[in-house]
Amino acid sequence: MKIAVTVNGERYERDVEPRTLLAYFLREDLGLTGTHVGCDSSSCGCCVVAMDGDRAVKSCTMFAVQADGHEITTVEGLEQGGKLHPLQQAFWDQHGLQCGYCTPGMLMTSYVLLKHQPAPNEAEIREAIAGNLCRCTGYQNIVKAIQQASTELAAEPAAAAVGS
Amino acid sequence: MDPGIIGQSLARIEGPLKVTGTAAYTSDHTKERVAYAVPVGSTIANGRIAALNISKAREMPGIVEIYHRGNVGALYKPSPEAGAIDEARPPFADDVIRYYGQYVALVVAETFEDATAAASVVDVVYADVAAPNVELQLVADDEPAEVSRRGDPEAAYDASPIKIDRTYITPAETHNPIELHASLATYDDDGFTLYETTQAIVNHRNVVSEILNVPRENVRIVMKFLGSGFGGKLWPWSHGTLAAAAARNLGRPVKLVVTRKQMFQTVGHRARTQQRVRMSAQRNGSLTSLRHEAVNDAGMLDEYDENCGEATPHFYGTSNLLVTGGQTRRNIGSPTAMRGPGAVPGLFATESAYDELAIELGLDPVQLRLQNEPTRDQSLDVPFSSRHYAECLTVGAEKFGWSLRSPAIGSMRKDGSILGWGMSGCSWLAARFAAEARVELHADGSARVAIGTQDIGTGTYTVLAQLVAETTGIPIGRITVELGDTRLPPGPTSGGSMVTASVIPAVLEAARAAMKSAIGLATTLERQPFKGWSPEDLNFQSGKIVARNGASGKQIDYHEVLQNASVAMVSGGGKAASTFGEEHPKRSSHSYGAHFLEIAWQPEIARLRVNRVVTVIDAGRIVNPRAALNQIEGAVVMGVGMALLEEAHYDPRTGAPINSNLADYIVATNADTPRMDVTFLDYPDTKLNELGARGVGEIGLAGMASAIASAVYHATGVRVRTLPIDIEKLL
Ligand code: FES
Ligand code: FES
Repeated sequence: MKIAVTVNGERYERDVEPRTLLAYFLREDLGLTGTHVGCDSSSCGCCVVAMDGDRAVKSCTMFAVQADGHEITTVEGLEQGGKLHPLQQAFWDQHGLQCGYCTPGMLMTSYVLLKHQPAPNEAEIREAIAGNLCRCTGYQNIVKAIQQASTELAAEPAAAAVGS
Repeated sequence: MDPGIIGQSLARIEGPLKVTGTAAYTSDHTKERVAYAVPVGSTIANGRIAALNISKAREMPGIVEIYHRGNVGALYKPSPEAGAIDEARPPFADDVIRYYGQYVALVVAETFEDATAAASVVDVVYADVAAPNVELQLVADDEPAEVSRRGDPEAAYDASPIKIDRTYITPAETHNPIELHASLATYDDDGFTLYETTQAIVNHRNVVSEILNVPRENVRIVMKFLGSGFGGKLWPWSHGTLAAAAARNLGRPVKLVVTRKQMFQTVGHRARTQQRVRMSAQRNGSLTSLRHEAVNDAGMLDEYDENCGEATPHFYGTSNLLVTGGQTRRNIGSPTAMRGPGAVPGLFATESAYDELAIELGLDPVQLRLQNEPTRDQSLDVPFSSRHYAECLTVGAEKFGWSLRSPAIGSMRKDGSILGWGMSGCSWLAARFAAEARVELHADGSARVAIGTQDIGTGTYTVLAQLVAETTGIPIGRITVELGDTRLPPGPTSGGSMVTASVIPAVLEAARAAMKSAIGLATTLERQPFKGWSPEDLNFQSGKIVARNGASGKQIDYHEVLQNASVAMVSGGGKAASTFGEEHPKRSSHSYGAHFLEIAWQPEIARLRVNRVVTVIDAGRIVNPRAALNQIEGAVVMGVGMALLEEAHYDPRTGAPINSNLADYIVATNADTPRMDVTFLDYPDTKLNELGARGVGEIGLAGMASAIASAVYHATGVRVRTLPIDIEKLL
């Protein structure tokens, strides 16, 4: 099937099989391997991408054809003009990662969270990332990182918008 | 040495790659003409393959080849000298099925989707199918081995007024790193290049070269970023062998990613253990004997010793002690090391028993531990290199507010919950693996450190850069770290929390050799400040060459020296021997710690959670406190999961691990995270290496489950001796 998807601001027209999952389309067809796959039961969240800027979707539970006509933002699209997005900077600063495998999904989930709730409290942050597993960090620093980014974004709101 | 970088909480140097999605994990690598492999696993656990019908799968679109016993080609069992592997039988070696999920065929196709679809129609006909042995009760098949003995524990036990005799059980647990195991294998005139999810590239090369029967030189292992392993990725597993065999046979690259379900079947798990602990004491609390007898399960073909008594002989002060270990075979995939192997399940048993003994004695558990603290390692009869366990206990008790504990069961309440306060000690070995390293100083002012070890997420990239920065005074931003490739000097396995301790001597020696070379060069250069000087009179400081006495006031940047000499770089090598498994060590080297924690129990709604944890760790000098803190916090949360949630269940009819996904095998999520307060004592263990750093990857998990079980007892009066502590056990 022919689809046209905009990924990180770039439009791709591709022929895909109907059974191809969005995660594999991103990774194998577009070479965007920042989106990870950690399970096949929709449980880990390391495949999360943003759809149309304001929806966090697990790209392992969606077919590529369902993304036809939509805009997808992946972790590769967060950096703007060679500058890390405040969330990326905060995950780095706050040791919000160890092995880093869960990080892209955590980043994209929090990216969408901060779009809807620019100043979430700790409980809201924990609720938002409830579908993202991290086996390394114990989560504490991930929560701190999202708090840091939220504070920073409040100071410079323009940085929140990506790829639109 | 320019002090200051060691001990700083630097952010990880590889952080930018990880937050931008550009860090390449094993399955992110790709190659021209890559084919995709999907293994087919058996759906029985005990029997044999009578026939493999692959004709239907062959007709499926995109099929490249289907491998099985008849066509996979030669694969050998590695010799014991090659290195470590838990399942030594090569895949497809015979038609006997010994565990559920054992690979019986490999489908290779043009796309992952094609391979998956065809794998689902491979039809396996089984014969001699028998009920699998997945019996939970563990009795050693052979006489258990005596691991440690001193005094006369049997007589001391019989003669003591206070005794306890209890059995503790820890279940099979799966590692579940978020990254799936994967291999990308290529084969050409130079041999094999294998991208592997491994915690031990050097061991991997040595073992796999024997399986494939090619010289070591013809196998290169690459692993730049690992999505964690927790022990599950230490040693080679059969999927990697299959990917390599397929690449060899086809002459094209083959990628294989193990599914989450297969990760419950074929890449190891923490062995189930059953441990009998007998302790006796005088009425004053003096520990008169300790017997710790453990049995763990193993696969049908390979030995697996969980070594539950890993910490017991040195940790407990008593003149009479016995530690034994036995194994019993089951129709399960081989167990393997999981974070804190041996000590973690072992300490659950012995520390729980210690808590039970304290209650028998009417003594505070902290007091009992302090009272029996040994002054030397009584099993080896050698001094401790650095043991500050007592201080872990007293500092932890103080920070937690332990003195406010009222010992009566259910006597502490808050906000409608019953609170339970529990504590436990922990210990983990400290040793070094052999390591070699190379450090280069470049004419552009940068430095490079190269070592064939790996960063499994713990911060090794950053630690290596810190070591070079500290030694040379070159700013951290100008240091490149290269690891994760067997073409580099052989470095340590990322296991046993030993990487940091292991790389220190080799990297420091290499950096010093490179500095010495730069100094030597400075004394040969015409029209330069140190022409004709003796190298002994010169020093390398903050990236500059200076006169040792400082009197002349002369100095020159090392990179200017290199530029003036028209050399691109100077370099040095370093090498340090292993201290791991020494037969007659002169000292007993371990890390220590204590957890104090509070649980809240709400019987009306059957809700149990861990509220807060205070942890104090004595792990020598800490190279990067934030990274180390993160290791302990992660381990504490994993400990909450171990205590309350984690257990792999095997179906007694089929032998299948039934909760083989992340929805049914529950790991701790952020909702389970307690408040954590972690303190490191600062006692450098300079007997282990010059900086005095030990390791922090595993110790934080040890003792967590026993502290939680003790707190649960304090709240509910129910002593849970079989993990996990699920709610049903409390009702
Ligand atoms: S890969 Fe696990 S939820 Fe998508
Ligand atoms: S950092 Fe390893 S899974 Fe989160």
